[in-house]
Amino acid sequence: MVELLAASRCPRCRRLVVPPASLCPDHPVRMEAAGVAPLGEVVSFTTLHSPPEGFRAPLHLALIELQGGARLFCHGTATEGVKIGSHVSVEAVDSVFYFSHMGVADRARLFWRRAGARGERIASIGKSVVKGVWNRRSRGDQ
Amino acid sequence: MWIAGAGMTRFGRRDENLPDLMAEAALLAMEDAGIDQPDALMVAAMNPEEFTGAGNYGSLIATRLGLSHVPAVRVETATSSGVAAVYAAFAAIAAGLHRAVLVVGGEKMTHVPTPRVSDIIGRSIDPHEKSYGATMPALAGLITRAAMHRRGLTLKEFSQVAVKNHANGARNPFAHFQEEVTLDAVMASRLVADPLRLFHCCPISDGGAALLLTADRRAVRIAGIGQGADTIAIRYRTDLTTFRATQAAAEVAYRMAGFGAERVEVAEIHDAFTPFELISLEDTGLVPPGKAGRATLDGETAIGGRLPVNPSGGLKARGHPLAATGISQIVELCWQLRGRAEGRQVEARVGLAQSIGGLATNNWVTLLEARR
Repeated sequence: MVELLAASRCPRCRRLVVPPASLCPDHPVRMEAAGVAPLGEVVSFTTLHSPPEGFRAPLHLALIELQGGARLFCHGTATEGVKIGSHVSVEAVDSVFYFSHMGVADRARLFWRRAGARGERIASIGKSVVKGVWNRRSRGDQ
Repeated sequence: MWIAGAGMTRFGRRDENLPDLMAEAALLAMEDAGIDQPDALMVAAMNPEEFTGAGNYGSLIATRLGLSHVPAVRVETATSSGVAAVYAAFAAIAAGLHRAVLVVGGEKMTHVPTPRVSDIIGRSIDPHEKSYGATMPALAGLITRAAMHRRGLTLKEFSQVAVKNHANGARNPFAHFQEEVTLDAVMASRLVADPLRLFHCCPISDGGAALLLTADRRAVRIAGIGQGADTIAIRYRTDLTTFRATQAAAEVAYRMAGFGAERVEVAEIHDAFTPFELISLEDTGLVPPGKAGRATLDGETAIGGRLPVNPSGGLKARGHPLAATGISQIVELCWQLRGRAEGRQVEARVGLAQSIGGLATNNWVTLLEARR
């Protein structure tokens, strides 16, 4: 049901990295293709008030630890209510990762941008509902 | 391995170009050493190509110094490049290749607009993470928030580091900032990368620093020097709140020296962001884990405290002309151990310098000891 994020795993130490890399950062061995569920916890986050050229202020950045231990860098549309340890979902839009502690409008915008064909749009809406449920549950946990 | 001479320019906004700043520092170190014909030259500059447009920096500086016949090498490990050049000189002398090596480092940055400076410094960040808009302050912000959450680091603790280092800088004629700041001013300064504020970040500075290393016995020796490494990508690390690269570097340096943190009486620490001073004090074993914030609030790391840290003002107040910084830490310790740090002198025979390259990807720890 949930689309997995492309990752790679070191055959020697079993470390997972996202996005996929050819060699393990800790061993000069070729990594194997893997997939990880786009669900995880916030390791840390920050808001840049003078972001570099090409980014609009305020720029929200987060480091997310996915299930299985891989960590990835994400953008977010807001960090209001986000805490270290918050459960979030992650999705890639045009190969850029967003963590979703997003409002309905933001999520819809991202999905419509991503989903081209009608079939995909319907699948995206389905996923959005799933994520909405997941997010509500996460917020309930805190 | 002995330090025969030490010299540096005043850090800050300087009108001179980079070769002139490096020459000023180098001539002071050679004069201090009484040696003007080193066997080799190690030059540290992090990114003179983009900051100044010039390259081939080893030969450029050798010629500028009137040492065009002396073999010169340029060394680079991002923001810790200065110590990398010290290490290269140390290794060359230890290997018996040379007897006297001049080390000089510097950076010229203030003539470049701030966004461009951030971009150039950001070249030392993992390209994938940089593509998300990650800058050095952004990564430091992530680390600081994680340290507050996991280690109980407080805003007041890492703000006090800025207060202390500015107070020290006010006593150092070589410092970029020579004014004290209040805790309130630090905590009210504008947010840069939440929770880091402007006064938690080091300035953009110009400057040069130099050392003359020799195999011949002098007043101060390099007792140990060590390098440690970590992943360039922050997402590959399992712990954000300690720097593996510092811990590894400290272990190597202490082993080489044959003594541990207990003998260190003064330290120069890489406080590019003030929480890094607290993290680094614990990574080097100078303060027990979780105690650096409290020790700072209690004045233990102030001049006159149990362990003075950054009597120079540190990167925060002395300034941070990238490749000059690591060398300037050792220059300061030399002066401290030789009783020549007027206005900020501490009582010490052993000093430790810690330098961070990139976002703690390539760190160094150096131990200096005054001759008995």
